Amino acid sequence: MAFQEDLSPEGSVATRADDAWVTLVWNDPVNLMSYVTHVFQTYFGFSRADAERRMREVHERGRTVVSTGSRERMEVDVQAMHGYGLWATLQRSGE
Amino acid sequence: MRGFEAEGDVLVAVLDDEERTVIARIVADVGLLLGDVRFDLEGDAEDGSGDDEAALFAGLSDLGGTPTRPRDPAVLRLLPTAAPDDAEVSDEFRRLTEGDLRSLKVDRLRTMWRQLSEGEPDWRLSLEDAMPTAAALTDVRLVLATRLGLDSDADVDRLHEEIDAGVRALDADEEAEVDHERVWLGMLYQALSWLQETLVACLAAGQGDDV
Repeated sequence: MAFQEDLSPEGSVATRADDAWVTLVWNDPVNLMSYVTHVFQTYFGFSRADAERRMREVHERGRTVVSTGSRERMEVDVQAMHGYGLWATLQRSGE
Repeated sequence: MRGFEAEGDVLVAVLDDEERTVIARIVADVGLLLGDVRFDLEGDAEDGSGDDEAALFAGLSDLGGTPTRPRDPAVLRLLPTAAPDDAEVSDEFRRLTEGDLRSLKVDRLRTMWRQLSEGEPDWRLSLEDAMPTAAALTDVRLVLATRLGLDSDADVDRLHEEIDAGVRALDADEEAEVDHERVWLGMLYQALSWLQETLVACLAAGQGDDV
């Protein structure tokens, strides 16, 4: 059981093999803010407030992390985002 | 043009003949770009046999090797590189997902094209069709944006100014000063953006704030 990792908050994420990858969504001038928020809510199950916060981060900072996990899991999320027309990439966490 | 509004459990936009024809044509163009299919030449009776044939050709094209990075920047924007700093991850992602993503996108565009080609002024969407239609509108807008060179928010602002100036010049009969194709594509981009905004507003309203 990996209770050790579960007890610690953010810090251990990058050290666990399963959580070594992240999915990023990047800003583009085409996707509507309302649409991005709706995709974040429906696909990731974020609350409206959380989805809007992440959407604003994309818009203002150029990108945001939308999910963390194994490479295979991130590939599923990136494929889904590309399906919606959002510009998403995956990379090792901490890069 | 009237944007989408909820009428019971159906979302309805109203387009005139010309608007429908223009949008159907750009939808078909994007379908051709992505799937190498002509929606207007496909039979509408026997979906099954067409799918068999498509599957056969897809199988044949697989023999040609794994998909490579699209050369057309518009197609690349619809099927982006998944890990720009890691060629191995990107290539594998493309090999595993590109066929499915192309099919998903082409199928949504085909559904939209058929709805717009029915000749009815009302464009009616079930709630199930709403999100696939919003996603298809995104794909069409991404292709138009690539053709219009819209890489930043400032580019979009400049396009709006160009369109306003173009319309003023046409009103003043100063034809020569207008890049007709750019103004026309830009107006189409604006119209599709507005249509998508009204559609997403219906979806957001239907969902409430508590999800």
